[in-house]
Formats: sequence, C-alpha cells, structure tokens
Amino acid sequence: MLTNSEVVSILSHFPKFEDTWLGLSYAPHMPKHMVKETREVIAIARKFNEEVANPLALKLDRLTHKDPDYLPWELVEEANRWGLYTMWIPKIFGGHGYNMPSMSCFSEEVASVCVGIMNVIGVHYLAVAGLTASGNIRLAKKILREVVEGEKSGKPCVLALATTEPGAGTDVEEVDLVDKGKVTCQAKRVKGGFIVNGTKVFISMGHVSSWTVLYAYEDTKHPSETTIGFIVKTGTKGFSFGSHENKMGQRVCPASVLIFEDCFIPDDQVLFSSALVKKFTNKPARDISQRYCDYVVSATRPGVCAFGIGVARGAFETALHYASTTSVNGRLLINQEWAQCMLAEMHKNVILGRLAYTEANNANSHRGLYRLLQSKPVYYYLKAMPRFWFDKVISPMLNWEITARVMGKLLFDMPKPEDQRCCSGWASVAKITGTDLGVKNCQMAIEIMGQKGLRQDAGVEKMLRDIKLLQIYEGTNQLNRLNAFKCLIAPQVPQAQVFEE
Amino acid sequence: MLTSYSNDLKPITDLAQSFAARELVGKTGKHDRYPFGEFYDHVLDKAHEVGFLGAILPESLGGIGGGIAALCEILLHICEADASPGGIIFTQAFSQKIMLAAGAQDLAQSIFPGASSAKDLLVAFPAYTNPAQTDSLPLAQSAGSDYNLTGRLELLVLGNLARQAIIPARSGIGPSYSFFLVNLDDQNVEKSEPVFTLGLHACPAVDVTFSGVRARLIGEENTGRHYFEEISPEMNAAAAAMNAGILRGAFNEALAYSQKREQGGRPIVNWSEIGMMLASISVKADVAAMCVHQSCLELEQKKSGYEPRVSAAALHIAELSCDATSDGIQILGGYGYMKDYAQEKRYRDARMVQALLGTVPFKKLDIIRQATNTNPNNV
Repeated sequence: MLTNSEVVSILSHFPKFEDTWLGLSYAPHMPKHMVKETREVIAIARKFNEEVANPLALKLDRLTHKDPDYLPWELVEEANRWGLYTMWIPKIFGGHGYNMPSMSCFSEEVASVCVGIMNVIGVHYLAVAGLTASGNIRLAKKILREVVEGEKSGKPCVLALATTEPGAGTDVEEVDLVDKGKVTCQAKRVKGGFIVNGTKVFISMGHVSSWTVLYAYEDTKHPSETTIGFIVKTGTKGFSFGSHENKMGQRVCPASVLIFEDCFIPDDQVLFSSALVKKFTNKPARDISQRYCDYVVSATRPGVCAFGIGVARGAFETALHYASTTSVNGRLLINQEWAQCMLAEMHKNVILGRLAYTEANNANSHRGLYRLLQSKPVYYYLKAMPRFWFDKVISPMLNWEITARVMGKLLFDMPKPEDQRCCSGWASVAKITGTDLGVKNCQMAIEIMGQKGLRQDAGVEKMLRDIKLLQIYEGTNQLNRLNAFKCLIAPQVPQAQVFEE
Repeated sequence: MLTSYSNDLKPITDLAQSFAARELVGKTGKHDRYPFGEFYDHVLDKAHEVGFLGAILPESLGGIGGGIAALCEILLHICEADASPGGIIFTQAFSQKIMLAAGAQDLAQSIFPGASSAKDLLVAFPAYTNPAQTDSLPLAQSAGSDYNLTGRLELLVLGNLARQAIIPARSGIGPSYSFFLVNLDDQNVEKSEPVFTLGLHACPAVDVTFSGVRARLIGEENTGRHYFEEISPEMNAAAAAMNAGILRGAFNEALAYSQKREQGGRPIVNWSEIGMMLASISVKADVAAMCVHQSCLELEQKKSGYEPRVSAAALHIAELSCDATSDGIQILGGYGYMKDYAQEKRYRDARMVQALLGTVPFKKLDIIRQATNTNPNNV
C-alpha cells in the first residue's frame, strides 16, 4: 500500500513513531531473560513487604511522630541484609546486576505498602545514577565496591545525593534556570583539590549515608558551565549535618540539612566536571552539564512515577478491602455501583501509571542511559560471566584511561540530542502521571472510606501525606511539565521558547 | 468576611480575628503536635471565655445567641489560622444543636449555663458520622426511665476532654436510631487514647466502648434521624465556613511566599504558571466565602429546597479546599511540605473537615434522594 520511504516520511511528522511507541521500538532489542528476572524481582519485593515493610510501615510512622529525631538505622540494616542496596548495581562493580527497569517494578510493590520505606532504599540509587551517569568509572567503582563490601560485612554503606539549596530548588534541577538562580554552594580550586562552602537542604537519607554525591559550582554566577560533582565521605572535616526536617509524610526517610564549611575535597574525589568531560568531546560546557543532568533525571523520574503508582495501588487495595468488608444500609459497599465505579477508576489509574513508567524505562533502555546494559550482547555477557571474572579481570580495567575515554565518548559525545530529549521528556511525563494519579487515588480512597480513612491505623491517611512529596521532589510537577514541553513539544514548534518568559 | 451579611457581626468578626492573631498564628505547629505533645488547654479556656463554645446557644442557656451566621464568621477566621480549634467549636455546636432540635431544654439547662470551665461545658459528639449510614451503632436497652448502652463507637470527637457525650444508638431492629446523653466518667465507659488522625490533631477524638452504661434519651426514641437531618443544613454551613477559612489561609500564605521566593532570578509570583495556580486558589477562596454567605442567607430565609442547596455548597467548598490546599503546598515547594509552614496542616485538615457529617459519596447521594424523595435505604 505504501512504500518504505513513504512510511518513513509520514511517520517522521509529529508525533514521530520512534518518540511515541517506545515499547514497540524497543521490543525486538529487549533481552528475553529480562522477563524472568523481573518476575523474580517482584517476588522479592512481595516477600520483603510481607516480612519487613508491612509490619513496620505504620509503626515507624507513629514512632517518627513521637520522636521527630528518629533515624531508620535498623531499617537500613535490614534492607542491607536483604541485599537491596546492591541489587541494581551492575556486576562490573560487584553488584547483583538486576536489570534497571525492574527497579521500577520493585518500587511499585514496596511503595504500595510504604513509599517512605521505599525511599530509604530508592534514594541510594539516585546517587548510584549520579555516579554512573558521570562516566567516571574509576570513582564509581571505588564507591560502589564499598557498598558491596558493606553488604558483605553487615555494615551498610548507603549513598545520598545533594543538589537542592535553601534558595534554589527548581533552579538546580534545570540547566536553563540555574544561571539565573541563587546558588551558593561554591567550590574553590586550591592545591590538590577544592574547598567547598555552602548548604544543601532536603537531602533524603543524608544523616544515614556513608557517602554523598555533592554538586557545587566553581563560579556561582555561571553555574551551568562550572558545575562540579564530588563524592564526600560522612565525617570529612568541614562537612556536618544540620537539622532533621520535620516533614508531613515519608517520615521514616529523613531529610537532612548538609553544611559545608571550608570542606577540603581532594582531586581524586571529583566525580564530574565539564573540564573532565571536555577531554572526550568538543561540546560546550553547558551542554555537558545538561546531558549529565538529563541522564540522572531520565533514570530517576520514572522511578518516582513507580513510587507514585505504588501509593496509588496501596490506596486502591486499602479501599477495596474496606469496601469488601463494610456494609452500609445492609449492603456491602463493594456491591454498590458508585463504589464499583470509583474502584474501577482507581485501578485504571494504577494501570495507566504503570504504562507510563514502563514506556519511560523503554526510552532509557533503547535510547538512553541503560542502552548499553540493556542491549542483548552486553546483557547476556554480564549474565553469563562468573563473578570472579568481573572482580579479578574487568575491575582493574575500569581504572584505565582508555576505559574513561570510551565511557566519556559513549555518554557525552556519541548520543544524539533527540534521544536525550526523548528520554528526559518521557521521564517527566511519567513523573507527573504517576504522582498526580497517586494523589488522586489517595483522595478517592479517603472519600470511599469516610471516617475510617482518617485514622492513621487504617493506612490510607498516611498514603495521602506520603504521596504529596512526590509531586515536589525530583523537580516539582510544574517544572516537569515545562521540561516535557521543552523536550517533546517545543522541538516541533520553531518559535517556541522555554524558560524565557 | 460575612460582615456584609449583617453589621451585627462586626464585633464577632473583630473578636475572632483578634483571638486567631493572639492565640493561634505562629503556634499551629506546636498545637498540632498533640497527641504526642501537650494539649493547648489555655486556648480552649480562652475560647470558652470569649463565648465561642456557646456561639449558637441562646443567651438563656448561657450562650451568646449569635445564630448560624455568627458561628460561620467565627469558624472562618479561626480556621484561616488553625482549623483544630474550629473543629472543637464545630463539634460543640453540633451537640448543642442536637439537644435543641430534640427539645431537650432540660438537659441543656443542666449542662451549659452552670459550666464553670471549658471542659465542663464540652459535650462530645461523633461529628464524622452520619448515624443513618452506620450499620454498627451501639445498642440501647430500656432500663426503667433510662437506657443501658452497649457497643463501640469510633472517633467520638472531644471524647477525651468532655465529661458527657451525645451517642447515637439503636434500640430495635431496623435503621432507626436515637440520641442519648452519656456520662463519660462512668466506669462502664472505656476510652482509647486519642486516635492519631490525618489532621485536626488538636481537636481530638477517641474510640469508646460501652458496657451497659446508663444513658438518658434525648428527645423521642427512634427520632435521631429526624433531629440529625433537621440540623444538618446549619452544620453543613458551619463545615463549609471551616473549609472556606482553610482556603483563605492557604491563599494568603501562598501569595506571601510567592512574593518573597525567587527562582530563575525572579519572584515566583511572576512565573505565569505560579500566577495561574495562585489565581485558581484565589477564585476558590472567593467562591467559598460567597457560598458560605449565601448559605447563611438560605438558612435564614428557609425558602423551599434550601437544605440540598446548603449541602451542595458544603460539598463544593470541601472539594475546592482539598484541591487548593494541595496547590498551596505546591507553591511553597519543599518548604510547603514541612511543618515549619502551615500549608501541610491545611492539606490534612481540609480532608478532615470534608468528612464531617458523614462520607462524601453518601452526602452526594443524599442530595438526589431529597430531589427524588426516594426511600433512603434504596439509595
């Protein structure tokens, strides 16, 4: 009916086939074993829920209200015993190397019981994304190997990532805004390293982390071109914790204030800078910062969607149980049409959100940060080779200059801008979708359950408190809408300008 | 805000505003710590001193005889700062209204005029329940001139503070129920610790179990539904006023913050997306205030069909408030999620106020039941 060239031409119009049917595009490239592996991951999550999350969720929430300074050390140790801090660390760094998209499925499961507990696990992987997306394989290996050792020794080595500043929240999530903002965390070059001064706020898991991925700026007037990422060990001179934030929800996961006062960080703990990456690409410093930022948020925002859909599912399941066991006027609610329609709507929301994070992960697997790991040859190679091969043979190679050069080229020079936009745009769409639907489902559950839903011991009121944070962190949903516009819509409209109002 | 309704309300307005400014503003975080922190007895005592706990009681019963408009005006201004004391005033008015609707002047006379302290005056009530929609009410058995109550009731508001409570209970088979006055200090009453709820922490509720506790019938037996429905329009207007106050507070705080906070090198109020959100909250706050005003007029004029219209206003304002308080947090970003600001409390409190007088879907179905005069048990 149509020639190939006609099909290509027609499908290149907005919305382009490749940017829209991501799952279809990725399907032929997806390793089949991912299905089996993902099934196993979901089963682990359900077992973890049954044995750990379910018994603790409401108890810990109550405890944190009694004692606002509570820190979840025991929970972190338990998660460490379960191997949850290494499950998605690639095997070349000594981790279990489960496929990255499966983490979203795991997140949905655990968040359906308690998104605060999921955050105690998940925030660590925000920092893992910050490490691996930097291309600094030598440093990533050093830190991630410590995480693996922490699992073996039973002394957890958990990571945090510090971006937000007291006067800059949205600004530091968007390279187009950061130069206009008021960032203050400054890194001043000195002999052998940098002196860092500044404050970071709302840093999840700060107090209980062993290492923090920290972003500062050599020139706070031109931060987009002078962003510099460090890794800083807790206890380093000049690095201290301030107060522990008093949040409405997700209270089991502490949000910390990090204070840097003349904190010396040596050169070998510089994770990322445009100067480092410049060795491998001719792209401008600002574009390098944008690409790095996009890699991190493209990987983590689908995860936030999964968090939100987990909460949406928890609210649905709680309301379903209530409706199945509560009679009004002598009839079970589950047999009243209005309740059936509300429950169907909630279930629909869960399904839609799950599709959103799945497609965003397909974008990352096919065209983004996971592209290499999720390709069939690399995936099956990593599966097939024994652990000692990575520990003894591959690991030393990660320190080679040629490895750094290859990674630098792969991450910062070769990828196409349209792939970057597709992944970042879809990540924002997923984040908005999952978190908004999560809020919606919690509201509906509260309405169905009436006064029962108002009680902390019924579970759903905690979900309503917990879910709200997801619309704020990882870029507010307002910023994510603008990013979705910038990445997915504006390129089709030459006169469109974003962040220029 | 309702001063255009009647100049007589001006003193009430001034009193409520000064009370809120003096006792509540800047202290909501501390008050909200309850039940894990201290209860604000002094605020309750002050509310009693200025007459807020008897706002709708006639002067002959020791109240200020202000009527529904006065109650709404008080609740608007109190809840703009902190909805918890608003919840106490609301519940107290609910109890008083039930007694008056049932013609139980003698009981009211025995409690209210002589009360020397706030706690003596308080009468607990299950304010989140529409008893007609609750299949598991306590049972009442006749025992001479009184009754014995047995069973459990959840979320009895003010149950840990008040010495007496109005309890709905069934004395026979079928949906009918009656209201009873119960002494909460009776040894056959077992009260839980304050229930940890979503919001309104400083308007506490407890679960109560009755084991054959002596109870006095309020009004006629099996007429509870009638009394409840008779006073529902006024209490709906009061709940609407609470959420209108929460809305106004959310807007004020969001607007003030957006003028101070800069992102992208300019105050966020100048971001048109934030401007749209602020405008949306402002519209909701103004519409809510107008709905409360109109509800008070409807309640005064009692024109045909006013009951579902007031109920509709309460339902609508609750939805507006729940949406707007979420946006109120959003405008403050991470700070809005922290207890250092009052926005997160408003987000929680709005849902609590929405649940007053029963479950939302049943309140909606009730409007259609009234419109079609169908049997309540068929809807």
